[in-house]
Amino acid sequence: MGRAWAAAVGVCLLLQAGCNSPEAAFHFNAVYAHKQSGVTKSQAKNVKEILIAQFGTPDEPAIPALPDMDVSSVISLDRLKMSAGPVERTDDTAPRRGLYREHCAHCHGVTGDGRGPTARFLNPYPRDYRRGTSKFKSTPVGGRPTHADLKRILVDGIPGTAMPSFKLLAADELESLIQYVKYLAIRGEVERSYILEIDAELEEEDLLLNVPGEDAEQVADQVEVIQDITSMVLSRWANAAGQATEVPSHPVDDDKLASITRGRELFFGTTANCVKCHGDTALGDGQTTDYDEWTKEIDPTKPHLAAEYVALGAFTPRNIRPRNLRQGVYRGGRRPVDIYWRIKNGIEGTPMPAAPATLRSDDIWHLVDYVRSLPYEALSEGRTKGREFQRERN
Amino acid sequence: MISKRVLFAALLLLCSSLLSSAANVQAAGWGSIKGRFVYDGAPPKAGPIAVNKDREFCGKFNLRDESLVVNPENRGVANVIVYLYLGRRDTPPTPHPSYEKTADAEVMFSNDKCRFSPRVALLRTTQTLKIANADTVGHNTKIDCFSNAPINPIIPAGSDIEQQFSAQERLPTRVSCSIHPWMTGWLVVKNNPYFAVTDENGAFEIKNLPAGKWTLQVWQEKSGYVKEVKKGGKATKWKKGRFKITVKDGQTENMGDLLVSPKLFKDR
Repeated sequence: MGRAWAAAVGVCLLLQAGCNSPEAAFHFNAVYAHKQSGVTKSQAKNVKEILIAQFGTPDEPAIPALPDMDVSSVISLDRLKMSAGPVERTDDTAPRRGLYREHCAHCHGVTGDGRGPTARFLNPYPRDYRRGTSKFKSTPVGGRPTHADLKRILVDGIPGTAMPSFKLLAADELESLIQYVKYLAIRGEVERSYILEIDAELEEEDLLLNVPGEDAEQVADQVEVIQDITSMVLSRWANAAGQATEVPSHPVDDDKLASITRGRELFFGTTANCVKCHGDTALGDGQTTDYDEWTKEIDPTKPHLAAEYVALGAFTPRNIRPRNLRQGVYRGGRRPVDIYWRIKNGIEGTPMPAAPATLRSDDIWHLVDYVRSLPYEALSEGRTKGREFQRERN
Repeated sequence: MISKRVLFAALLLLCSSLLSSAANVQAAGWGSIKGRFVYDGAPPKAGPIAVNKDREFCGKFNLRDESLVVNPENRGVANVIVYLYLGRRDTPPTPHPSYEKTADAEVMFSNDKCRFSPRVALLRTTQTLKIANADTVGHNTKIDCFSNAPINPIIPAGSDIEQQFSAQERLPTRVSCSIHPWMTGWLVVKNNPYFAVTDENGAFEIKNLPAGKWTLQVWQEKSGYVKEVKKGGKATKWKKGRFKITVKDGQTENMGDLLVSPKLFKDR
């Protein structure tokens, strides 16, 4: 009896919680603010308020207005609406809403911070969009991914990770999600820039945007700072399409084996130097102690400092591993052109460097051929035979 | 949820009329400033670096942790960066003619003996950074800029590349090598030549500033902004590492020994 009573109370509480559950909100980037130690609580509140004025909320998104830029050419509010808000499936005739929360938020989080409820159980951790950094793209380091780059990831997923393919979504749904991911990334980048601005420029008692009426000139200055930062972030995304690295055609050569042999020489040589990180046997064990840029933000090499960030919501740091090239699993895509881009441009946000300019496009194609041949070598398929394959580990 | 003042701000964002920039007042003539940063305690001993890559080459050089370099004889702190601080509305001063000949110079930044040399490279936006690899092993040079696009090129043994940075960076930018994780350097990029880094005795000098009132900012990799110094036994707070100076025509303002507390330097 007592048990049933308790259960009934429990159900009531649950129902009540359901009815009164708070409106979804974007989380403040407390980890980055902690790194830029000079941000006070009232300044953090100030940043949140400005971001709401510019970008709205998860249920009611907005796009920032800028005097000399058409923001809708980068992200369109109409497109965002299908992805924003809670999942709604009550009426098949009504426009769909909540696609992001239906498909993405459980890993990437409502904020796009890569900290959804399932995130901590995954390896690798889901992407935190808020740096604006993407690994798998056609543009060089520093460039944002193109629309096509993001679409490819949504359609193909990322092999070797928890990121699935969303090929079955309708074209307009995919389009909406791509735009929504850009929206979260842009919002996150703007937030980081505000935090940096406050840390570098403002006294503790000052705000990024003061109460109006106090000093019109000062407020106009502050508005200009906000506009400059927002437009700088947006223009990086607007420019991405023109930045894709051109890929010269593969040197047509009947002798594929010769290309692979040349690629192998480059792999082990000191110009491309792949061997240093991917290891003598290309198992990805040459350099196993480094971290990616998302992790470096929390000082992973100093456990007592990392603990401070983990307390603020960051995940326990993990080392980044150079790819094991013998598995034939290519996260950024298995087409030759994908591997060409990875080698030519490097992988942003990771230790993988860009090829030196002295490597010509033919050389890079030889490397692509060698890398693509590795999973088919005898060593990749079975156990090691003995001493012959022993290698130095760090 | 949204306060009134933010709504007002949102409106302002839509239709702001911007005020013209205040003119930068510059007096006639030129003067210099110098000083010396001194560690206010027993000089710490730099620990050895665990060389775990290219041991046969990098292991030869007795590499030490260089994040805080204090001269054991005169306690001078090396690699403290001092630069002219300009507000958003300030246009950078027209440089003294003596800076003209270096305006488009190459600034050398070398991967040398498995460390970066110099540890701190000072670069003007008009200059070119020449990243070289003098070693017989391969390096890569990862520069995580904020205003400029970050770069991470491989620098093969015995080669070099030239790189331009057209926007100034607010803070010194970390430079690293992914192959040799202990390698750390810093790049300062400014749109004017008024910056300096302390030498092995902790001394710096910024020459030929336009006469007038200026703000300088001081930064070191372990302390971040140098927020407090002791001068003549008196502690002075420097908010965000900034202090004001008046440069007089034909004179060198000598700030003397500026004592920095060991407490300022910690893992960040």
